[in-house]
Amino acid sequence: MFELLEVKNLSVSFHTPQGEVEAVRDLSLSLHPGEVLAIVGESGCGKSVLCKSVMKLLPRNARIKAGTILADGTDVTRCSQRDMERLRGRLFSMVLQDPMTALHPAMTIGAQIAEAVRAHQPRMTKMAVRRRVLELMELVGIDMAEERYGHCPFEFSGGMRQRTVMAIALASSPKILLADEPTTALDVTIQAQILDLLRDIQARLGTSAILVTHDLGVVARAADRAAVMYAGKIVEIGTVEDIFYDPRHPYTWGLLRALPAWAEEGQPLYTIPGMPPSLLHPPKGDAFACRNEYALAIDYQEAPPMFQLSDTHFAATWLLDERAPQITPPWRGASYE
Amino acid sequence: MSEILLDVQELTHCFRLGRNTVIRAVDHVSFQLRRGEIFGLVGESGSGKSTVARCIMSLIRPAAGKIRYLGVNICDPGQFRAHRKLLQTSRQLIFQDSAASLNPRMKVADIITEPMAIHHIRPPRGSLRQEAAFQLKCVGMDPSSLDRRPGELSGGQRQRVAIARALSMGPELLVADEPIASLDVSIQAQIINLFQHLQREHGFTFLFIAHDLAVVRHLCDRTGVMFQGRLVEIAPSKELFDNPLHPYTRALLSAIPIPDPRLERARVPQRFDPAQFCREGLLREVSPGHMVLREEADR
Amino acid sequence: MRRKNPFIYYGGKLAGLAVSVFVLSLAVFYIARLAPGDPLVSYYGDRAEKMTAEERAQAEERLGLDEPVHIQYTRWLGRALQGDFGISYKYKTDVTQIIADRLPNTLLLGGTGFAVIFAGALAVGALCAWNEGNLLDRIICKVGTVVSCIPEFWLSLVLILVFAVQLRWLPSSGAYTLGGGGGADRAVHLILPLTVTAAGHLWYYAYMIRNRLLEELRSDYVLLAKSKGLRRRDVLLRHCLRSILPGYLSLMAISVPHILGGTYIVETVFSYPGIGTLSYESARYQDYNLLMLLCILSGSVVILSNMLAQIISERIDPRMRGEMPAEVTEHG
Repeated sequence: MFELLEVKNLSVSFHTPQGEVEAVRDLSLSLHPGEVLAIVGESGCGKSVLCKSVMKLLPRNARIKAGTILADGTDVTRCSQRDMERLRGRLFSMVLQDPMTALHPAMTIGAQIAEAVRAHQPRMTKMAVRRRVLELMELVGIDMAEERYGHCPFEFSGGMRQRTVMAIALASSPKILLADEPTTALDVTIQAQILDLLRDIQARLGTSAILVTHDLGVVARAADRAAVMYAGKIVEIGTVEDIFYDPRHPYTWGLLRALPAWAEEGQPLYTIPGMPPSLLHPPKGDAFACRNEYALAIDYQEAPPMFQLSDTHFAATWLLDERAPQITPPWRGASYE
Repeated sequence: MSEILLDVQELTHCFRLGRNTVIRAVDHVSFQLRRGEIFGLVGESGSGKSTVARCIMSLIRPAAGKIRYLGVNICDPGQFRAHRKLLQTSRQLIFQDSAASLNPRMKVADIITEPMAIHHIRPPRGSLRQEAAFQLKCVGMDPSSLDRRPGELSGGQRQRVAIARALSMGPELLVADEPIASLDVSIQAQIINLFQHLQREHGFTFLFIAHDLAVVRHLCDRTGVMFQGRLVEIAPSKELFDNPLHPYTRALLSAIPIPDPRLERARVPQRFDPAQFCREGLLREVSPGHMVLREEADR
Repeated sequence: MRRKNPFIYYGGKLAGLAVSVFVLSLAVFYIARLAPGDPLVSYYGDRAEKMTAEERAQAEERLGLDEPVHIQYTRWLGRALQGDFGISYKYKTDVTQIIADRLPNTLLLGGTGFAVIFAGALAVGALCAWNEGNLLDRIICKVGTVVSCIPEFWLSLVLILVFAVQLRWLPSSGAYTLGGGGGADRAVHLILPLTVTAAGHLWYYAYMIRNRLLEELRSDYVLLAKSKGLRRRDVLLRHCLRSILPGYLSLMAISVPHILGGTYIVETVFSYPGIGTLSYESARYQDYNLLMLLCILSGSVVILSNMLAQIISERIDPRMRGEMPAEVTEHG
């Protein structure tokens, strides 16, 4: 199967005064054409860094240490600054978390979208650009586009701003959309609208998307496949059905069990004990071992490989090794009431 | 039915935007908190729920309305002054962003005991430091953190310190304004459990302001829903989630994503058009404890 | 969006200017008379010290200095409104004439100096931000720190020594050669004073530009602009500069008097006939009429430049129009 995006053995580090922080550690991942892949994890697990690595928009103190990122056949890690400028917007583009800060505060909405349109079509006439901008605004559901063309971001609500950001991201018809927590800063009702818009656009334009989020509800609503990330690694990846109805990694169990939606009345919520490890000096072996109630001795020694469970489902835990003791998973899959 | 601790009546507050625009952030909001209950206040950003909290904590003086706390009208400056000490010690507030609300230059021990020092309260457990250590233990932290500063703690730990500081005064009323919004899922669960545990142990009354409805449903005894400054519905949490009556509440509940892909994809969220929202009307009791904002004509 | 009536808008601003200048003149008038010193010395020179009490009283009456201050002020104001600002005690001619002789020189030096600093700081700051952390950036920062630490008069003397005395490339003083005075001649006379003025002030503004630009480059909208596929140059020039320009313009406008005033030392060292020297003398020798007009002039420059800054900011940044507060929605 042709992969639109293929990340192989990627390692990204930040150089801080305290030392090297290994934000992404030997991560491999692929994105199929026309799907929405969710990346779930807690803050600091490296999910945003992964996104920015693909776009090569990492901060100055970050470095891609090893690995390749093949985007539509091009190895992004080897691209120069100029090459990246040509790829951004056309091959992939980004939707940021906070629409309040993502738009230039003093430029009109229309001008900001127009800029994105012209970035890859500098010869386009003014009229054509305007027509395209209005078309994009309609596509993302900004009504009264003519009138709102000249508005500034501060006159827009959060949801409208996020729609604007999406219009900007879609301006040059990218093949991959990287959405970094696109709904976290929004209200629930707006969140639902934006997620539906994302799905709708994905279906209409055939764009593939990576959806970074910490909210499993968002994953359930908008994603086809999901990857669970912990401490810079993917611990489990599969279709959303695999992840929600047949999770195999203890961390995935923990995440699902901790959701208040599943809590029994009057009972305390399930919590994963402890805190995520510092990536300044990642622990030896499985990073999740010290929070894992099913940890085996080998977890503290050696990091588990990815075990294949089916064509789509992979998990990295020693529990799946044939020598491991059989345990009954505490989570038998989602079932709402 | 237990005693009413806090009685908010017709609370109204406006913010002035520019010369001609006035926004009614809180518009004739009335509700009561009974001693020992956990009351959830939910709504989207701009619905006025934080303003209600600030009025209750006397951080803002409301434009109109009454707030009675233990029989004292705290909106009245004279009464406020007469009962200042009681009001300042027995009501405590926990903010959303503990990174911003804790002084980064102070040590944890000093943060926790600062209210005691300000009010000249003799620490019940000997020294201030012992008191701080005790409170830290209560919120599930190790006393070894006493000499650390907020910057060296994780978000969850900082929120625990903020809770410990609030609890050190032995409050009757705890107001928490989005206390878990900036935390990760697994840490959120820890803090919610902590709230539940502490509330059972100390029996304080708890006003919990949040936008995450699943958490509110789990934690709160009763829940109020706010929209554009109006309180549109109040009900026992179970009743509210099982049988929402106001169209806005329905839309809000239907928008919460359910972490179950098959169910979630089959669902169509209900839309609520703000243009249809009728600000006028009164809260009417439709079943015991369940009140909905209704227009006069609807009856 | 509501648009304001331009007549009301600018009329209001002008009224504000008039009130400010009035208050300023009042303050300067009183404060100048509080300062110790003898205004007669500037009029009569050494003779003033030998005068008898009677002669003094006569002289004071002639200059109108014997009356209470508020009457002096009303009389001054009445004449000033008709365009008569009185005579200078020291030069014994009309103050407007004295200032008119010197103003073009200062405007030339200050104006070009200001333009050089303004554009130079923008260019240097943007260059440093573009090359953040590189060798070039570090060199410019180091050089700037050193140069801005050099006192102006010392730098002036060194430059005169090198370029005027040793190399004989440039004139050492004056605004033009006596008898000559074409455009080229004036320009040549301007080079050294201009260099000193710019070298003293440029770095401060360049650092500010650099740091503000770097701050902007770390913000979210830059990330989005880059992910659109915009070139790095366009992001820096179109987005970041646009964000910092209102602030920079305001700062520069406020700095107009600072930079003009800073030319005083330069004017002295290069014997440049400008306003700077004049202001100093007028204050030192209690030359009240001259002082008043100079203060009103410089005060108007400050106020006008601030207004200009505000108008420019409003044109560039729609949020500054005061129709919407920055924080529209109350949080929560």
